[in-house]
Amino acid sequence: MHEPEFHDLSDDSDYAASQQQGLGGSVFGSDPGMTSGFNEREGSEVVYSKDNVTIHPTQYGSERISGRLRLVKQGPSLFMTWVPYKPSPDGADFLGNNSNSALSEKDRNLYTITPVPLSDVRSVRRHTPTLGWQYMIVVLSSGLAFPPLYFYSGGLREFLATLKQHVHIVRSADDANVFLVNDFQDPLQRSLSSLELPRALSVVNGVSSKDLASSVPSFENSERLNGRTYYVNPNTSEYSRRHKHKSHDPARDISLQVLEKFSLVTKFARDTTSHIFRESQSNSFDSYERKQQKQSPELIPAISTPSEEQSHSNDGVVEPDPLEFDKINLVWGNPRQPPLSSDEWAALLDSEGRIMDSNALRKRIFYGGVEFNLRKEVWKFLLGYHAYESTDAEREYLASIKKSEYETIKSQWQSISPAQAKRFTKFRERKGLIEKDVVRTDRSISYFDGDDNPKVALLHDILLTYSFYNFDLGYCQGMSDLLSPILFVMEDESEAFWCFVSLMERLGPNFNRDQNGMHSQLFALSKLVELLDAPLHNYLRQADCLNYFFCFRWILIQFKREFEYEKIMRLWEVLWTHYLSEHFHLYICVAILKKYRKKIMGEQMDFDTLLKFINELSGRIDLDGIIRDAEALCICAGENGAACIPPGTPPSMPIETDTGLYSSQPEDL
Amino acid sequence: MSYAYLFKYIIIGDTGVGKSCLLLQFTDKRFQPVHDLTIGVEFGARMITIDNKPIKLQIWDTAGQESFRSITRSYYRGAAGALLVYDITRRETFNHLASWLEDARQHANANMTIMLIGNKCDLAHRRAVSTEEGEQFAKEHGLIFMEASAKTAQNVEEAFISTAATIYKKIQDGVFDVSNESYGIKVGYGGIPGPSGGRDGSSAQAGGCCS
Repeated sequence: MHEPEFHDLSDDSDYAASQQQGLGGSVFGSDPGMTSGFNEREGSEVVYSKDNVTIHPTQYGSERISGRLRLVKQGPSLFMTWVPYKPSPDGADFLGNNSNSALSEKDRNLYTITPVPLSDVRSVRRHTPTLGWQYMIVVLSSGLAFPPLYFYSGGLREFLATLKQHVHIVRSADDANVFLVNDFQDPLQRSLSSLELPRALSVVNGVSSKDLASSVPSFENSERLNGRTYYVNPNTSEYSRRHKHKSHDPARDISLQVLEKFSLVTKFARDTTSHIFRESQSNSFDSYERKQQKQSPELIPAISTPSEEQSHSNDGVVEPDPLEFDKINLVWGNPRQPPLSSDEWAALLDSEGRIMDSNALRKRIFYGGVEFNLRKEVWKFLLGYHAYESTDAEREYLASIKKSEYETIKSQWQSISPAQAKRFTKFRERKGLIEKDVVRTDRSISYFDGDDNPKVALLHDILLTYSFYNFDLGYCQGMSDLLSPILFVMEDESEAFWCFVSLMERLGPNFNRDQNGMHSQLFALSKLVELLDAPLHNYLRQADCLNYFFCFRWILIQFKREFEYEKIMRLWEVLWTHYLSEHFHLYICVAILKKYRKKIMGEQMDFDTLLKFINELSGRIDLDGIIRDAEALCICAGENGAACIPPGTPPSMPIETDTGLYSSQPEDL
Repeated sequence: MSYAYLFKYIIIGDTGVGKSCLLLQFTDKRFQPVHDLTIGVEFGARMITIDNKPIKLQIWDTAGQESFRSITRSYYRGAAGALLVYDITRRETFNHLASWLEDARQHANANMTIMLIGNKCDLAHRRAVSTEEGEQFAKEHGLIFMEASAKTAQNVEEAFISTAATIYKKIQDGVFDVSNESYGIKVGYGGIPGPSGGRDGSSAQAGGCCS
């Protein structure tokens, strides 16, 4: 017996070629004798029917559910359906293989695809490996995806050809193997659709999201596949090959990996781990499921909720992590790379100093950071002070303009006489506060240490100038923490100022007097934890910790107090790439919380204890490991994660209003 | 180390009045003029002895800037004692006491013991608030009062300990139900069990281990 289900992703046949061969014209006759299962209404016509289209519920080739895939036309609408065969008495399938004796009738029914109108299908991704069977993944417009359907007796091309006859399909501009079934009018929509692929992790057909949640821990199983499949290690050659196809959307690479991973996971899910976890996982992904249901009400009847799923976990036992980070040896996040070197950097620039591929740069930095001596140059791009497409000459010109602009703003407060200051309370208060704070900022770093260190005076001048540049926001504690590494790297007052300005364009709302920027991030964090670790969320809710104030310092100053100086520069440049998400810092928060979830829940920490515990993690967090975990979480959360984060949540650009960017109140300093 | 009681303290007051320095002087017996400014909250702890009983003080040192008031308020919950600090050389820090007190009254439990501290009394030549004014304010609002110096350590020990003694006396007088942790008091191993039997040995030990 062969085990053909591990495929290479390399393309073979081409859809266009199939069209030229005239296969697109063939229409498959209806077959009224083969209506096994669903109730065809009058006037429907089977336009495509294929036997031995198979789902692999586990990673074992021996376990499969074969059935018949059909396209049924009814009036103007086309429906897709897949119905598993009833097990024959001798247990042999159409190929004569003794199959899936372990699979119950219920399992078969769970996978049945009841007629789905093609208007609900977003895309079909075909896989035509050189070895093994062709298969396809059908993604619904709701973001849900069916498990991979393997064409044991061929027929994938015909399927697509038939589809093309009846509905409008276009090949995705991003990936030649993805066929968008309902055309998206504008290119933005189109690229969004590829970004949305991570949602397909919810490979669902009759498999409830709860099953999905419980299936995720079965990643453990995927270790067995190591070295044989692209699923496990995204750095395998298959990945690189695909990667070479063209320049691409970074999210797409990852979303496809995830799509594959999760398709595989779902295959594992059925009778291996799901029943083990079902009982303890009853709350996992609850909100997720609600969302899914909202998005695709038509799927609700197909979602099975076995009664045992309703049972609740025992008190006193820490509920397992739905994503099972602790036990997993397989690290999902990409291994960290060495920082971007000068040679690599030089190769990214064209002859006039433009960055040729900013995505590639951001990706490179996301996975490895930047060598120290390059930071001065590269950070200006990451922070948005320099445009990627600017030339050396333009940047040089900008620097001189900005330098004089800085001096102008600085002179505004420098020219305030003592007599004027005496009558300018707000200025005195601001200046006094900044004076007090700069001498309490990073003085243990040699760059800022010692009495009368001129660098400390620079911190003061830049902050006070900023408070004039952005008078509404002014100065708030925490800003000096954000400025310090920037000045340390830039070593230039004006350049440090403008980089700080760029950073504050995004993080300014953290310091709003009404704390709305902080609250929106803490809220988003709570939603992300709810999505990614429902048991932990439930624990925090019952411990009255859902305000997430224990993460306040992390977010306010971007973990500045949690890592040593060199590490924080590394983390910041990773965050500033906005490579996987603008809000990657929130996934870092989730990753840290998940790392200590057992301790938090096991010791039944209350708010005070938790706050103290989190505070004392300072200096003890393994940065590289946490970035990898956060990367995995971010990919895993996909669009559902993004949906947890309200628009305008820092560091997204604030939504501008007529009243200015910052809520200004009389007492503002 | 085991304790009979654990008291939660919170240190509040305007930024730069010396809250963190008072804490460091009390816990480490040293003065560090270039202490990093506090973001959110920092923790300190020390064992003291009152009436021959080991008492652990767990002290929350908060950020003083106005912008962080809303988050600071969440730290009041379950505090048995508060040190309300102003800087005798900066009048405005004294002027803001009323608003700090209002926050404390609103968000802490009513029986919280509040100690008013006029810090930096070593800087007498720059004094902007007289001792009498401090005393008067304390008297009006039912607070204990001391002037202290985190730099010279003058009255620092006394401020923390007399606050603890006041709380301890309230326990003896039955003001608190010590089995109810919302008063900011935990009974440790060897302590006097509350009406509900107090805490068992293991949890007290767990409490005793954390610094």
